Amino acid sequence: MTSIGTGYDLSNSVFSPDGRNFQVEYATKAVENGGTSIGIRCKDGVVLAVEKLVTSKLLKPGANKRIATVDRNVGIAFSGLIPDGRHFVSRARDEASSWRDTYKQPIPVSSLADRMGSYVQAYTLYNSVRPFGITAIIGGWDSEQDLPVDGQVGSGPKTGTGGKVAGTKSGGPGLYMIEPSGLYWGYYGAATGKGRQAAKAELEKLDLASGSLSLHEGVKEAARIIHVAHDDNKDKEFELEMTWVSSLDGPTKGRHEFVPEKLLVEAERLAKRYMEGDEDEEEDENMES
Amino acid sequence: MNHFPHGWGRPRDDIYGPYDHTYLSHSQSSGPNQHTQQPAVTGTSVLAAKFKDGVVIAADNLASYGSLARFTDVKRLHKFGEHAILGIGGDVSDMQYISRILNELDIDENYGSTGNTLNAKNLHTYLSKVMYARRTKINPLWNAILVAGLDGVGRPFLSSVDLLGTTFSSPTLATGYGSYLAQPLLRKLAETEDEVANVTREKAEKAVREALKVLFYRDARSLDRFSIAVVTKQGIELMEDEQLEGQSWAFADRIKGYGTQVN
Amino acid sequence: MAFIHPSSLLPSSNPSYSFREGIKSSAPGIQEHRFSPYADNGGSTLGIAGKDFTIIAGDTRQSSGYSINTRYAPKVFRIGGDDDSGTGAKIILAVTGFAADGNALKERLDSMVKMYKYQHGKDISVKACAQRLATILYSKRFFPYYTQAILGGIDEEGVGALYSYDYVGSYEREQCRAVGAAASLIMPFLDNQVNLKNQYVPGSGVGHDLKAKAAEPLEQSHVEQLVRDAFSGAVERHIEVGDGLQMLIATKDGIREIYTPLKRD
Repeated sequence: MTSIGTGYDLSNSVFSPDGRNFQVEYATKAVENGGTSIGIRCKDGVVLAVEKLVTSKLLKPGANKRIATVDRNVGIAFSGLIPDGRHFVSRARDEASSWRDTYKQPIPVSSLADRMGSYVQAYTLYNSVRPFGITAIIGGWDSEQDLPVDGQVGSGPKTGTGGKVAGTKSGGPGLYMIEPSGLYWGYYGAATGKGRQAAKAELEKLDLASGSLSLHEGVKEAARIIHVAHDDNKDKEFELEMTWVSSLDGPTKGRHEFVPEKLLVEAERLAKRYMEGDEDEEEDENMES
Repeated sequence: MNHFPHGWGRPRDDIYGPYDHTYLSHSQSSGPNQHTQQPAVTGTSVLAAKFKDGVVIAADNLASYGSLARFTDVKRLHKFGEHAILGIGGDVSDMQYISRILNELDIDENYGSTGNTLNAKNLHTYLSKVMYARRTKINPLWNAILVAGLDGVGRPFLSSVDLLGTTFSSPTLATGYGSYLAQPLLRKLAETEDEVANVTREKAEKAVREALKVLFYRDARSLDRFSIAVVTKQGIELMEDEQLEGQSWAFADRIKGYGTQVN
Repeated sequence: MAFIHPSSLLPSSNPSYSFREGIKSSAPGIQEHRFSPYADNGGSTLGIAGKDFTIIAGDTRQSSGYSINTRYAPKVFRIGGDDDSGTGAKIILAVTGFAADGNALKERLDSMVKMYKYQHGKDISVKACAQRLATILYSKRFFPYYTQAILGGIDEEGVGALYSYDYVGSYEREQCRAVGAAASLIMPFLDNQVNLKNQYVPGSGVGHDLKAKAAEPLEQSHVEQLVRDAFSGAVERHIEVGDGLQMLIATKDGIREIYTPLKRD
């Protein structure tokens, strides 16, 4: 690397003469070595999935989760250094909690992404710290209904000022990806980690921007993409970890949860069949089942 | 030398006159006087009774501001997890605060892989420590709370905690006016824990509804709309906006001495 | 800020029930209502130490004013047990007064006794535990636990040990002690029956020549009966005592519990 020996890579808060922060770039390298994580924003929910590389047969299956819940309606998946990810999640939970203290409402996914973006960016500013060695995918569902504020005990006026307007809807799915620099964007489909290139290529084929993909289809696609992105040559074993969050009238009732065992097994079965067979032919069959 | 220990360290009576205790405890302006308070908007009684498979709990929908019936659609039963529910009397803003800390507790519990496993007994222990800690800071949460549900081994659980952190448990419980009017009636259901085994859900629910009616007749700060919940192994069945049925105000004719019938 | 009115902890010249009444004020005009962090939940406890056992007992009624909160709220606890039910405990604590403080005190002492065992690998002696309890009580000297505690167990010589305390940790080892609402009813009975006050050998003389009856170690079964009698007497004369009698008996084999119903009126 060109930076080595120049001295500009030894500290945060120091730019190289051509305007780069090498510490951030090194952090990105850490992410690129981590297991793949993806997120899909469907019309009625969000799916998160990670390729959890099994580093030892002595590890308990299903332990050491890499997707965590924040508040009730948000999930965070991450690729990179796991301890950094744990700290990131912990901070996100604190942000969600302090938002509730202030506003007596769950934090919107966009606001959580914004606050976490600021938090991550602050770790690029000081020479006493290093940047986060993770890229995090934040997916959640903002309630489409007018939720009662925390602690509300009455129903309030039925009509007039302060009354509810029937049939109004807001909220919906939210998906954001935060990089070690603190940069974040909202996405239809997000991918990071080792297999991100392959995953992105698959995500682009899904025409997510049209908002037509259903959550159940999204779950199966996510499982398939994780399998596609997995590189059998470098890593043999991996576990598929998958969560989802649906609308209030959907399967998770607006909560972020792990995909039920039955559905997970089915999605993984289809993904494996896809991998074994002729990819183009199998894809149609997958969509139907 | 004053040989009575209670005189030590105080101004001498023979020089300064007897110490005026009222001065300190009644002064508003001098010295720090934090947290002196009284409840503002309040809910009245909460009633509950155990039966062989669970617990019934009820509270009316009224929040009073002194003698003013301020809010008439207030829900004073709060679910917590799958098998615990609490009924709160006393200050409504403190009730809302309690509801919020329990919401936060539920969110935090669900971060674990096992979900919220806190049972009614755990919840009661937690709440009693919150209440006792606040009274110790002389900044109490002005409530009387009943916690109903199932304990760690699935047995019916019913216990109370108040603004002082005092806790107690009994086959039937009632707070506020209910402790005078309803509790003696409810005790007829089951006097001891052993007798709870003979109480059916129907009997318990009926007794609680009847006791609510007695309270509506005699407690001027009560309402005939209420919430009632039944907790069993099957979960919580919460019925809100229930209406007291079978009221009879015939006895009111014969009340004399005040109101419209002075003599 | 003074939490307790100093005079309220002193004996009052006014007649009153044993439960503490609100602060009386002679100030004319506006009466301000302030929050009082204390309550009196009534009830009575007693302890008697024998030559190889200690019995600590208490009624199970908890009241506030004229209301009975519950007919079963234990005031006598096993300290330093291995689990919720207190198995493995060797020390007994009884508390009367303000029930919430009593519970807080019990939990503090219980966790400290457990910590002692974890740190030193052996059970705490009753003597050390007694001193520890005094320290806990005194640590709240200026916002006291409104509880009268008695602590008992078997001492290092194998003899029954009993300690009694005031609100702020002053304590002494005694042969017997009655505490709480009916203390003034039960204590004279114990003075007479355990310490044999005013008991003389019949025909041993006249007036000052009468010989005091010599104290002999009391049998455990005899002491159990004394405790039952003391409480059935107190129930008749004190409204805050009743419902049930809980007796915890510490011997070299551990702690045994006996529950007997009392009148519920």
